[in-house]
Amino acid sequence: MDFSLNEDQILLRDSARDFLREEWPVAELRRMLDAADAAPAAAAIWSKMAEMGWPALLFSEENEGFGLGMFDLAVLMEETGRSLIPGTLHSSGVLAAAALETLAGEHAQRRYVPGIAEGAKKATVGIYEPGSGWTPMMLRTLSAGVIAKRYVPDAADADLILFVNRTSGNDVQLAVAREAEVRDLQSMDLTRPVYQVSCRAEDLDPIGGGTVADLQAVIDKATIALAAEMVGGAARVLEMTVDYVKSRKQFGRAIGTFQAVQHKAADMLIGIEKGRTAVHYAAAVADEQPQKLAEAASIAKSIANTTFVQASQAAVQLHGGLGFTWEQDLHLYLKRAKACEFTYGNTNWHLDRIAHCLGLS
Amino acid sequence: MRRLTDTAAEAAFREQLRTWLEENAPSIDKHDVGGLKDWQRRLYQAGWLGLTWPSEYGGQGLGFREQAIYNEEAARAKVPPSINNIALMIAGPALIAVGSEEQKRRYLRPMLTAEEIWCQGFSEPNAGSDLAALQTRATSDGDDYIVTGQKIWTSNSLIADYIWLLVRTDPSAPRHKGITALIVDMHSPGVTVKPLRQLTGEAEFGEVFFDEVRVPKANRVGAENRGWIIGMKTFTRERANISINLSVRLQQQFDRLLAGVRGREIPLDPQEAREVAKAYADSRCLTLTCERLASRLFGFESSVVKVAWAEMNQHLQEIGLATLGPDAPLLPGRGYGREEGETSTWGTDALAGEDESFDKSWQYGYLRSRANTIEGGTSEILRTVIAERVLGLPRK
Repeated sequence: MDFSLNEDQILLRDSARDFLREEWPVAELRRMLDAADAAPAAAAIWSKMAEMGWPALLFSEENEGFGLGMFDLAVLMEETGRSLIPGTLHSSGVLAAAALETLAGEHAQRRYVPGIAEGAKKATVGIYEPGSGWTPMMLRTLSAGVIAKRYVPDAADADLILFVNRTSGNDVQLAVAREAEVRDLQSMDLTRPVYQVSCRAEDLDPIGGGTVADLQAVIDKATIALAAEMVGGAARVLEMTVDYVKSRKQFGRAIGTFQAVQHKAADMLIGIEKGRTAVHYAAAVADEQPQKLAEAASIAKSIANTTFVQASQAAVQLHGGLGFTWEQDLHLYLKRAKACEFTYGNTNWHLDRIAHCLGLS
Repeated sequence: MRRLTDTAAEAAFREQLRTWLEENAPSIDKHDVGGLKDWQRRLYQAGWLGLTWPSEYGGQGLGFREQAIYNEEAARAKVPPSINNIALMIAGPALIAVGSEEQKRRYLRPMLTAEEIWCQGFSEPNAGSDLAALQTRATSDGDDYIVTGQKIWTSNSLIADYIWLLVRTDPSAPRHKGITALIVDMHSPGVTVKPLRQLTGEAEFGEVFFDEVRVPKANRVGAENRGWIIGMKTFTRERANISINLSVRLQQQFDRLLAGVRGREIPLDPQEAREVAKAYADSRCLTLTCERLASRLFGFESSVVKVAWAEMNQHLQEIGLATLGPDAPLLPGRGYGREEGETSTWGTDALAGEDESFDKSWQYGYLRSRANTIEGGTSEILRTVIAERVLGLPRK
């Protein structure tokens, strides 16, 4: 086994970090959040990411993408997670890309993918429903009337909203929602809004399908990418915390000299190293051993949940009163961590799936 | 370059090793010192020990990958651990890093063959985590040092031929600058060893007393008063090797846990199943982390995996014990029945096995694991090392 990055991956990581430092400093994010209308700033950074080619990474070469694997994507997403990039790269470049690649028919791929891979159009996917939890088998069987999808990322901003519906037993349908009502669900995470999207059955244009397992594989890839973003976020809050406790003085010395502070910081690092391992492993499994994808994705997400939530909580604690202010940037990470924890399955959901893979349930 | 599977060369090495282990792995009681020495010698003669050691000193001159494969296969085959673990994992690698050419030629090969068993004399009654407080004195007398003092928690001291010793040679210098590293023959006049009975009932370690022990200056490792840095290098190797070797055993422990719960009449409740799943995710992740960080593990990063391994193993043992339900506190086999002072060797704790002996039970594993966060650097000290040496936080 070998987890070292090759030259291309190192280049991808370093160029992403430089780009994000230059183009998306946290001050820029805060300007977007404070603006009456966030759309112009979000559109600006999206078009710059599109110039970098990022929306095309996951699409296959036949679909005019780069056909990179999940491991490359994980390297990139750790960097975007550090910078709390708005959600579009995830919703369009990862979730919609994986759904289109896996579930869309050939005709639909030719029609929809090029614009999305270029970044000219943004897509998102509605999967979960009221009452479905995070379990695709719990999606209700498609019937006439209004279908409501919950937690749909970036739907207000999307040019193309896709629905994945369960049509019968084990079968799912991928459909374009032509006419949809979009309602902001007011996520705690200000950087990544989620919506309830409602669409009448007759306004759905089916463009492909597959099995529930295919859908779960799409979700698992998105999960691994999300876990990579989470590890990046955790690594960033640790850096912020190390800088702070080195300079903040109490009792006449830097608080970073106190053991109680040092040990919390050490635990943050231990969590990050574990999280990074779990993500790299799961991404490598997605590329090389897809039969183990479910277990590896669940290992990655269950560990990344702990890594990011604990790191951001510890970071708030170690910043003292400052950490509790709106002015300090940490709350943005804390809220991202909590929102991510409950996206694509919380820790218990993933542990239950691991237990199932192990034959314990 | 990232990959999940062996290269062709690695696969061939693994296959050859697996076959050899299947044909040769013995069943030896962990208290059978002669049998364990014999087993280690056979392992060495077959070319499976000292894999990363330079070939001019009897090693195989291979890389970390081969060592990792050895660890995996040895755990899989449930072979008895090497009795000379302290030499193989601690004293030998340290000697390779800092010993003289003559010392390497003299000592390394007998470490591999188990002809000479080693222990490590660092801790003292008043110098535990604060190692620089050590007081065992070495005074110069012509071509010799005269060593007087006491070491404690010395694993394998009851069977050792040599001790890798830190002594104070300059009491007037600042604490870290008056320490020297020595190789001392445990059979020298003036050396006495007393076993220490542990809470598991056995005596893996002991106290070593030095009463005017004469040690040739040729046995000094490195320069006089430069022993502190040697001690630190020894520690990073110890932590790295503990983590690398034992993280593999976590998998084995986990397999045993799984076998136990699958065979139960009463199935796990959902919460128990989650705990087992979490232990699986954590132990798998830790083993992979050792592989991912392999190239950095001989630095201070070794503390990261040592802390994580120790706490993981403790947690796993607690879960394993809990699966026994109301039988959990009952000791199988003869329990603590061993004669006081009967020797045991370091590193043999809690190997998986299906038989009902105390040594291989969850009860023993639980009790033994309480030492994991103490031995080889307490988790408190290691977290400070991580904070100061890896993250760069200021020191007091």
